[in-house]
Amino acid sequence: MILDAAVDGQAHRVEVTGGKGRYTVAIDGRPLEVDWREAGGPFVSLLVGGRSHHVALEPRPGGYRVLVESHDFAVDLLETTLDAAVARRGPTGPARLVAPMPGRIVRVSAEPGQEVEAGQGLVVMEAMKMENELRAPRAGRVAEVHVREWQTVETGALLVVVE
Amino acid sequence: MADRFNKILVANRGEIAVRVIRACREMGIASVAVFSEVDRAARHVRLADEAWPIGPARAADSYLRIDRVIDAARASRAEAIHPGYGFLAENARFAHACEEAGLVFIGPRSPTITLMGEKTSARRLAVAAGLPVVPGTLEPLADDAAIRREAERIGFPLMLKAAAGGGGKGMRRVASAGDLVSAATRARSEARSAFGDDRVYLERALVRPRHVEIQVMADHHGNVVHLFERECSIQRRHQKVVEESPSPLLTPDLRARMGALAVALVRKAGYVNAGTLEFLMDESREPYFLEMNTRLQVEHPVTELVTGVDLVKLQIRIAQGERLPFAQEDLVQRGHAIECRVYAEDPDAGFLPSPGRILALRVPGGPGIRDDSGVEEGDEVPSHYDPLVSKLVAWGEDRASAIARMRRAVREYKVLGIKTTLPLFERVLRDPDFLAGRIDTSFLERRGRGTQAGEERPWAVAVAAAAIRAFVQRRAARTAPGAVPAPSAWRREGRREAIGGRG
Repeated sequence: MILDAAVDGQAHRVEVTGGKGRYTVAIDGRPLEVDWREAGGPFVSLLVGGRSHHVALEPRPGGYRVLVESHDFAVDLLETTLDAAVARRGPTGPARLVAPMPGRIVRVSAEPGQEVEAGQGLVVMEAMKMENELRAPRAGRVAEVHVREWQTVETGALLVVVE
Repeated sequence: MADRFNKILVANRGEIAVRVIRACREMGIASVAVFSEVDRAARHVRLADEAWPIGPARAADSYLRIDRVIDAARASRAEAIHPGYGFLAENARFAHACEEAGLVFIGPRSPTITLMGEKTSARRLAVAAGLPVVPGTLEPLADDAAIRREAERIGFPLMLKAAAGGGGKGMRRVASAGDLVSAATRARSEARSAFGDDRVYLERALVRPRHVEIQVMADHHGNVVHLFERECSIQRRHQKVVEESPSPLLTPDLRARMGALAVALVRKAGYVNAGTLEFLMDESREPYFLEMNTRLQVEHPVTELVTGVDLVKLQIRIAQGERLPFAQEDLVQRGHAIECRVYAEDPDAGFLPSPGRILALRVPGGPGIRDDSGVEEGDEVPSHYDPLVSKLVAWGEDRASAIARMRRAVREYKVLGIKTTLPLFERVLRDPDFLAGRIDTSFLERRGRGTQAGEERPWAVAVAAAAIRAFVQRRAARTAPGAVPAPSAWRREGRREAIGGRG
């Protein structure tokens, strides 16, 4: 199987072959011999060239969250062409500001039609007793405002659209 | 001397409720947990002897409801209440309500909480007791005009703080006059919702300040000791993330001087039970009294590990009327302890809260490691409360071995389902400035964000693991077309394959 993977802002071409706990993973043409054992739930024990890694894998949209030692990775995977992977991540079209956590809207400072700078505060949310300022993902014009003050929102709720 | 308690109600949740319940069980005292609707099956409820519901999820409707907590204490026939930290721990009305109801509040008397809880009156008392304080206002400010006038007098940069404050809530650093109004609005709004009091005060912002605090303990018989310092300079949003004892900054002379200042203020205030005096130190190592926390501190385990004193049990014994079992000269600091606060927050996304269900958890153990946690695998970290999940504490013979031990433990610690501050500690514990003890409260702002230059991340292992998992799942889906794998890009793939055949 050939995959396009993205991690830490870098794209890689990955090919996986093998089976029954022994795999060869070629990353950008460089092969790794991996001995793979499931270790309960999301945990896996990997031996890579004799080095032992206790790894945890959690599915997330577009790929996996991977814990390796004390490091936390978001690995995107797609079994299509590299072009498709780039297009999916591309910053074209309207930018959507969504709630990063459940909470309560304390203040909305964005108004439809308003010109905003990248990083300008648009919404203040309260979650876990702290007020968090949510900023414009990029410069542009505010096209839509979907929340009002004191409203309670869930993770992923659409707050503001910037064109 | 009062009788031993038979039953204590713990007016808190999370790791601190677990900590107090554990102390009760070790002392043979029955424990009573209280819980909100979302905490029905929380760890503190599971570990307590009894558990009483006190209302809906919102803290204001449950953990902050003095009447309901007192009712639960009466109904359960508890004789004393341990407030933990946060919630009602520094609420003088609550301590007073306990006193009125004939319940022992495990902490200082209510008038002392009022005196020290109002940060400006604490500052005035500290001045009277001979403690140096950070220059600023000694009276609380209630309107924008007064804030502007005082700010002009003190000068910028300055710190804007809630008069009823604590825990970093309602606190802002203001760099210039232009930022004053918006910072004051935000701080007052936060203070109003956290403390029901939006008055603020101002202090001059020190250059690269360090945060060092002194643990004190006083009994009802006039005996007062200090249990040395904790260094708490590693902070984000004015909240501590890493603490240690001893502080790499203090000399024996400075330690003795700060301890004596702390004891002087405790005596002046007529304070009893556990408390902490926070000091800021500037580059010349001059300590300035900041405030007193009239409760058990989150980071109390580092003091426990270096002094060998169980502070929670000692709090309970003092509340029972017992005398301090040691004098100042009996206390020594042995070795070095570090605490890392595992918060349900994403350190790579500006410490945004990351509540949710803990899908999997592997907690480190072994020599010198202590994990004070409020959760286990399968538990929910609700969005309604403080995001502290656990405190990982390491002890070593000296600072270097404590750091090495902590790094080993952080590497073993795995949490899935939520993001945590664990990856941050890997960076902090490797940082040359941290290793050299060159830390101040802006440490994380300056270098805590994102990947550091020269940091080796085992990204290839991560990519290989993800790719193999996807490969294995795809094969499983192929042999059993009805079984669709995990919610990821692979669901689409699996479906397409199931519909379109083997291409």
